[in-house]
Amino acid sequence: MKIKLLGLIVSSVTLLLVSIPAFAHHGTGVSYDQSKSYTIAGTVTITEFRYANPHPQLYFDVKDKDGKVTHWSGEIAPNAAQLQQIGWGKKRSEAALAPGTEVTLTIAPSRAGTPVGLINKIVNAKGEDVLGLGGNAFGPVPGEAEKGKQTKQ
Amino acid sequence: MRNRYACSIAALLGLAALSTVVFAQGGRGGGITAHNKANDNKAYDKHDLSGIWSRNGTPGGYGGGGTCRDCGDRGFSNDVPPFTPLGQKMFDANKPSYGRNLGSADANAHPEEAIGRRRAVPPANGTDPYQYCNPMGPTRALIYPDPMEMNVLPDKIMQQFEWGYAVRTIWTDGRKPLMDPDQQRWWGYSTGHWDGDTLAVITTGVDERTWVDHFGYPHSVDMILEERYRRTAYDVLELSMTITDPKIYTRPWVSETKKFRKLETKMGIKTVDGWGGLMEDVCAPADEVDNFNKRVRDPAGGVVH
Repeated sequence: MKIKLLGLIVSSVTLLLVSIPAFAHHGTGVSYDQSKSYTIAGTVTITEFRYANPHPQLYFDVKDKDGKVTHWSGEIAPNAAQLQQIGWGKKRSEAALAPGTEVTLTIAPSRAGTPVGLINKIVNAKGEDVLGLGGNAFGPVPGEAEKGKQTKQ
Repeated sequence: MRNRYACSIAALLGLAALSTVVFAQGGRGGGITAHNKANDNKAYDKHDLSGIWSRNGTPGGYGGGGTCRDCGDRGFSNDVPPFTPLGQKMFDANKPSYGRNLGSADANAHPEEAIGRRRAVPPANGTDPYQYCNPMGPTRALIYPDPMEMNVLPDKIMQQFEWGYAVRTIWTDGRKPLMDPDQQRWWGYSTGHWDGDTLAVITTGVDERTWVDHFGYPHSVDMILEERYRRTAYDVLELSMTITDPKIYTRPWVSETKKFRKLETKMGIKTVDGWGGLMEDVCAPADEVDNFNKRVRDPAGGVVH
């Protein structure tokens, strides 16, 4: 019981901390609602990935239960310079997120209700975390990625 | 027992929520709190400001977008002088996307903060000049918590900012400050001289399309900006700034002290190839305006092209 509660506390605190709207380059944090973050699995197919400023962008299709496909745009908080610091260079990132790749995404949707979101986490078909987000859109602390710490704010 | 756990959870969540708010603002005051004790015995010259400095105290000193726990204040100062009528008009016309969301319960809960920090709108609906890759100008670039390199030459200091990969020149060749210049410039006209162990820099002629900070505070072309740099330890640089701009503010505006930590290039910033030095964090319209703004920023704010 204690362990479960501790887990709840840790995960809740982590969730709140990653909700920090620190989109310094373009201030887009204000556009997303972190309190409504959710995970989409099994129906996401990447159509394009751009490793570019101000923030990398992921464009993808989401298929609903009726087979209807909606095209989404997603923003990734760590910019290219920060991804370089944590070992996710352009070639590695583009290979991991090539068009046609199926992934599981956790996203915070736009407050405007449009199919745009902040991508908090990307998991590939092997269950691996992509871009080092690990549930933290701001990525791990540079130099600590290898230790598995993901506390970057 | 359950109540105790519930209280603990509530307290922690409250603390985390509070931290979230504080971090969202970049925190006020504070900044990098102390130098690295490992550098205590390293000799240094108080007049040598060369090297890479960052207000970001995270390992490697790098924020990659200005995100960090201990960058200190991201505004010029919360203690804003009263505006003149022209200053108020310019302030109202600027619509930033940083700080607490305009009209939110969060914004309303912090009347102690200057209104500039409580009026963020989605950038699709804002007027931030940097959204279109216009130069930031000196104050905003200095406040932004990404690395900054001081290249000290015999007659000038070239100050390069990672964010925007921008450069400004501080002339130290003895020339006098240029008052009432013929043409305003994005980075103005800067001269520097040593006042004891303080490098005093005077800047004039800054293009009034730049903002003082992320929160959309304005200035006129007649602004006189004074920067005072002091190296207080091997790895610590402190900066205080004063804006004198009677067209906009009814008294001089003094910044909070901004602290920078010295970065060792080899241990700090580097690419996946191990290439050390400032990253090329350019705001290129081809990437940011033509792609990101149209395909992500605007639709995220409800503006669909």
